[in-house]
Amino acid sequence: MLTNLHAIIFTNQKSYNLGELTDFRSMSSVPYGGRYRLIDFMLSNCANAGVSNVALVLQENYQSLLDHVESGKDWDLARKKGGLRLLPPFSQKAGARDPRGRMESLINLGNYVHEIKQDYVLLADGDLVANIDLEKVFAAHIESGADVTPIVSTSYHGQPLATNYFVPMEDGTMDVLHNPDDAQGYEALNVYIMSKQFLSDTVKYCKSHNLYSLVNHVLLPRRNEIKIVPYIFEGYAARFTSVSDYFKDSMEIMKKEVIADLFTIERPVFSKDRTDASTYYAPTSSVKNSVVADGCIIEGTVENSIIFRNVKIGKGAVVKNCILMKDTEVGENSIISFIIADKGSTMTPNTSLAASKLYPLILAKNSTI
Amino acid sequence: MKKESVAMLLAGGQGSRLYALTQNVAKPAVPFGGKYRIIDFPLSNCVNSGVDTVGVLTQYQPLELNVYLGNGEPWDLDRANGGLHSLAPYTLAGEQGSWYKGTANAIYQNIGFIDQYDPEYVFVLSGDNISKMDYREMLKVHKANNAAATISVLTVTMDEAKRFGIMNVRDDDSIYEFEEKPAQPKSNLASMGVYCFTWSKLRKYLIEDEADPTSSNDFGKNIIPNMLNAGETMMVYRFDGYWKDVGTINSLWDANMDILDPNGDLSVFDKEWPLWARNPIRPPHTIREHAKVQHSFISSGCDIDGDVFNSIISDSVTIGAGATVKCSVLMPGVTVAPGAVVEYAILAEEVTIGAGAHIGSEQVYDDPNKKVAVIGKGISIAPGAVVEAGAMIYPEKKGGDK
Repeated sequence: MLTNLHAIIFTNQKSYNLGELTDFRSMSSVPYGGRYRLIDFMLSNCANAGVSNVALVLQENYQSLLDHVESGKDWDLARKKGGLRLLPPFSQKAGARDPRGRMESLINLGNYVHEIKQDYVLLADGDLVANIDLEKVFAAHIESGADVTPIVSTSYHGQPLATNYFVPMEDGTMDVLHNPDDAQGYEALNVYIMSKQFLSDTVKYCKSHNLYSLVNHVLLPRRNEIKIVPYIFEGYAARFTSVSDYFKDSMEIMKKEVIADLFTIERPVFSKDRTDASTYYAPTSSVKNSVVADGCIIEGTVENSIIFRNVKIGKGAVVKNCILMKDTEVGENSIISFIIADKGSTMTPNTSLAASKLYPLILAKNSTI
Repeated sequence: MKKESVAMLLAGGQGSRLYALTQNVAKPAVPFGGKYRIIDFPLSNCVNSGVDTVGVLTQYQPLELNVYLGNGEPWDLDRANGGLHSLAPYTLAGEQGSWYKGTANAIYQNIGFIDQYDPEYVFVLSGDNISKMDYREMLKVHKANNAAATISVLTVTMDEAKRFGIMNVRDDDSIYEFEEKPAQPKSNLASMGVYCFTWSKLRKYLIEDEADPTSSNDFGKNIIPNMLNAGETMMVYRFDGYWKDVGTINSLWDANMDILDPNGDLSVFDKEWPLWARNPIRPPHTIREHAKVQHSFISSGCDIDGDVFNSIISDSVTIGAGATVKCSVLMPGVTVAPGAVVEYAILAEEVTIGAGAHIGSEQVYDDPNKKVAVIGKGISIAPGAVVEAGAMIYPEKKGGDK
């Protein structure tokens, strides 16, 4: 039970391009895996480790995220003491630009960081898909005596130009690479544990020196004085920096080993609770190699697809290699492939729509074809 | 704070005819329809009817039921005023008090609970019926006739009437006689175990009934006849929607098959009458390469690689490649190994069917006397074993012939 750890989750990473999927929602509330939002994973990691103080740093387009997390009760974070705290930009001057980095986001929170009562802080991005045992990471942080423990992966390979790397040097220090051309060393998952004192001092330093980036302005220039000891996470991890990444990596959830790694009985992934019925497969349906959420009515053919909740697929329709989000309707005899249909999209009967694996087509929320 | 109406849900029944399914759990907590427990139906009816104060009377094996009900949040019944309350029998000073002696005694013991809300009306509901019912419609009839009691009835055939409590009514639908399982029915209006009472009246009859040492303290045997004999105004409310008492294996199987029809009266996709339930925290299900799924429900956390026809598959079920599940109800956590066949069967939670085993056999779908095989919670059937049609397997009675 990590009662002495305070989690701060950054919910809107702006350097990535998920096209229409993030036009009206923050990165952390991008739908994933048939029934989740990306934020569910980090919130569940916190909940499963007994972290009961969790702050969400909000920035722009956060209505969708607020609708999703509500009071935090679905993650057991609606508490009298602690629980979920929502932090919209607070001491940002009117007309000021968006924060340029994590440190600037924290500076914008005014005294929040300095008033944290717990001795340790977790800084994490809200867009990481991974089921991480944070108690283990914390134990490693204490044992190593590190100033900063970044969680890194050896198995996940994101786009180097959108990734930070930690490279062990011969003298025992860590080199830090920010968005290099090629991958090197350990890939950062943008989750860090440090003491509250370290963070508080660092925020003050950044504020007085007009610095804004944790990696570029703190870890990189001060790598010889800060003890950085990465924690190597060996489980499944994914982050999405482009539409084709999102499409390709989302489909990995069909693999038995991925589903087993992400959704354990001991550390379940919680999400907003909605009472949906079971999914109904009609006598005319034919479904293979697909992940399907509750509440759907399937009368057509579905292959290699991810179907979110309450999707309707009509008779004679053929859905191949698609991601259909909540409340999508595919009319009778429609044929679609390589489509990412955002919430509430409607394909009228006899629609034919095909894109390609490298360039899947996004149908914007509530669009009708 | 005052409430117009309070619902009392009778959930203490053992469900003895469902033996293998109710050995360790009260009947209202038996899983149903893929995502639900039986009690979700009356609870959803209460909420959808605007009744936000519900006492659940528990007695037999209440642990799992109480865990399931929790604070009532899944039904939106975690209220500051009213909400869901689980009411177990209790004792008074001087070792007074007892188990609930009968349905009427269960309400009698909780007069204090009901009085807190000073209600005009009390609904007394059976916790083990599958039905979608708007209690407001019954209340309208009750109010319009200024009745002391209104009893929901279903029109059945004269032959079926012999198995029910039958209401004999005058032309204006007022009741003049109640007969339990009459050999020669005079009417075909069968009681559904759903009552609406004017609380001030019911309260008086409960107290009088408790004082009568010869009484069975039962609504059907005592309270209703006593009220009739005293000349109270008692009405029937004619209900024409779906209703089923799932007291037997075959009726439980039938009701499960009925809920599969997305256009039927019991449809789970009816936006006007949502069914609420406590959901397990599981990911979406996966349908794999060899699977063929038709006219079936599949729920979250399942991994399906076999054939599934006409079946209800609850959450966290695994069906291996080459296995066939047909006309069956699989409760949460069941595993059917590759090559096994399950037909006309109800498999309780966490049952494991070994590779190549054969459970049940082909039956005539509409035959009321069909033989449905039942396997109790947690039982493992060995690979290659055969469980015959209509068999009931539970821990003290291991089965499956090699």
